[in-house]
Amino acid sequence: MNRNSIIFLAAVLLFLLLLPLFSSSALIGIFILIFFYAYLGQCWNILSGYVGAVSVGHALFVGIGAYISTKLALVWGLSPWIGMFLGGFCASIIALFIGYLGFRFRVKGVYFFLLTIAFAEVGRLIFLHLDVFGGPVGIFIPFKPSFINFQFKGNNPYYYIAMGMMIFSIIVVRIIEKSNIGLLSVAIREDEDAAQSLGVNSFKCKMILFFISGFMTALGGTFYANYFYYIQPDIVFGLGLSVDIILRPIVGGMGTVFGPVIGSFLMTPLAEFTRNYFAKGGYEGLHMIIYGIILIIVVLFFPRGLAPSFQRMYRSFKKNISKS
Amino acid sequence: MEKIRKKHSFLNVKEKSFLIVAGTILLGMALVITGFPGITIAAGPKVIKIGSIQPATGMIAEIGQACRRGNLLAVEDINARGGIKSMGGAKLELLLGDSEGKPPIGRSEAERLIKNGSVCLVGAFMSSVTMAIATLAEQRGVPFVIDIAAADPITQQGYKHVFRNFTKSSVFGRCYADYIKDIIAHSKVPIKRAVLMNIDDLFGTVTAKFTLKALKDKNVPIDIVAHITFPHAAKDISTEVAKAKAAKPDILIPIVRIASSRVLLKELYKQKVKLLGIVAPGCPGFYEPEFFKDMRKLANFIMDSPPWINPKSSMFKEVNARYQKKFNKGPMDTNSAYAYEGVMIIADALERAKSTEPDKIVAALRKTNIKEHITLGGPIVFDKNGDNPNAITGMLQNLNGRTRLVLPREFAEVDYVFPTPNLWER
Repeated sequence: MNRNSIIFLAAVLLFLLLLPLFSSSALIGIFILIFFYAYLGQCWNILSGYVGAVSVGHALFVGIGAYISTKLALVWGLSPWIGMFLGGFCASIIALFIGYLGFRFRVKGVYFFLLTIAFAEVGRLIFLHLDVFGGPVGIFIPFKPSFINFQFKGNNPYYYIAMGMMIFSIIVVRIIEKSNIGLLSVAIREDEDAAQSLGVNSFKCKMILFFISGFMTALGGTFYANYFYYIQPDIVFGLGLSVDIILRPIVGGMGTVFGPVIGSFLMTPLAEFTRNYFAKGGYEGLHMIIYGIILIIVVLFFPRGLAPSFQRMYRSFKKNISKS
Repeated sequence: MEKIRKKHSFLNVKEKSFLIVAGTILLGMALVITGFPGITIAAGPKVIKIGSIQPATGMIAEIGQACRRGNLLAVEDINARGGIKSMGGAKLELLLGDSEGKPPIGRSEAERLIKNGSVCLVGAFMSSVTMAIATLAEQRGVPFVIDIAAADPITQQGYKHVFRNFTKSSVFGRCYADYIKDIIAHSKVPIKRAVLMNIDDLFGTVTAKFTLKALKDKNVPIDIVAHITFPHAAKDISTEVAKAKAAKPDILIPIVRIASSRVLLKELYKQKVKLLGIVAPGCPGFYEPEFFKDMRKLANFIMDSPPWINPKSSMFKEVNARYQKKFNKGPMDTNSAYAYEGVMIIADALERAKSTEPDKIVAALRKTNIKEHITLGGPIVFDKNGDNPNAITGMLQNLNGRTRLVLPREFAEVDYVFPTPNLWER
């Protein structure tokens, strides 16, 4: 990273850190969603963006994280701050199991989609039928604001936690990208057979990334539970959430450090905006059409996501400046 | 060298035009989301804003829009009567929010409506969304009147700002058990065996559980001889119905939704299942006007017990007439009626609070006692949890192509017909 980009990132960070001082709680709420989806997108990106094994069942890990930390908090009074790591641990074990089945037997492309969807659905159905986890009624989480309980009265603590999580995920992805495993995974994504013929252990590489991805996604689940105070299998294990997770990195650019973040910064406010200004009485549903059209336009213009295009623009911009 | 540089230089035309468009959109969005600060302040003290969050789009858009219509009509009626008189005739304004049926969106819509100056919230139909908004309301100290949402735990969190006018899930079961007892007591033929058939989705499984529990708790003298679950999207349920038939039930307790109600009824007819009656514990599908259109004579005599409008209330007749005229829709249903009451309760509290301060509104809401209203049950009051203990369900029966209220007797339009004729003899 050169000096300019460091200055730019520091300025953005400073702006985001100071934002709650001068904005309404509603705006902060939107930013929380932006950070939250950017974080989840980033977790997904670790696996699907870098090794190209596209998972459409990442909600499974959100659900496991949400349920385990919540249940531990409700039954034993264990702070979600600790519970979230236990949840993450469980999720990563399951990720390893799915990964073993998928990668060991070289399940690829659409078949890997199906495998991940199937596991998410199995998770949903299991939790739907387990009465200890509230079954289909779900769990209503009592609101007892305190730091230990991961519950707060205002939006600002959530804002900083979500932002911290997002920055943490960016750093993790950046480290992975620069490390050996990142380089190997890109090689696998581009041509797995060629990479293997050069001695890359693709199985091990994918398993490690799936482990990290599952673990981190589950941490997001704990955040979800303690921000919305209600979890139910159809919501936290649902296909809808899985799609919400992957939409942002796809628009922003898979397999890039800032792709999911850019995607989330574009799409989350876009959804809010279209809903606020086109969802008037009598025109219900119009906002979804407009949102869809904008989405189509973005995908048409930037089929590989926004981040690679931005990067290219930035490079040529720099070149132009240094020339002149 | 020059050539190469040109090729790589800056943007191509496509990207440039996109950037211009995207930049404008983003800038506009940023401006609008942060809010032109002037707007909310300029509105003046004569307008009191209420935020309504309903699932106006998404899976249950139809219902969400009915709720929204109810909210809107109530605001219009109150303004036509001179607004909030104790506050110099201040007019109400309804800010519309759309949850799309998703908790994160519901929460973020509620935040927006609070930011835009809502002194009170009303909504939100789905229990999951309602829970997210209830917690938010508690966090922000904004009163929230739940017009519809049934899950019991919402009001068991000790929240001070949350009130619910709708019937709780557990009350659904209790009322149903009472009505079944009434039917058994007044029946000329003995009723001993029942089969419960429910769909396998969230609503189906939960309602089945509550119904079974209530029948047992209330010692209803009836045996559930079979409990059959079937997929909610199934087109063919002949095996399940054959199983039900083999159990030789006196009555059938179906828990279905709009599509599955048709599938079930047709199959019962085809297999000529002998039943004294079909008595549902409050599920959609049996009382909508479309049901009569689709099922014709088969629709008759079916009984169901949802929360319902009070057909004897003169206020309902008035409101209903205005509703039909304004929206050019069929008669007001349960959803729009409860939504109407939600705003009515808020207006009543504002009138007594003489202020838009949250604490004063909450204090006034606590003392709510509305005798004349448009849904079933006694006066609207709130207990210490914020629930309305007088909210109940009614027993309906389809008679001569119309849905009539048959129980409880103090509100009933007609007496019920039981045992009912066989499906194929109607």
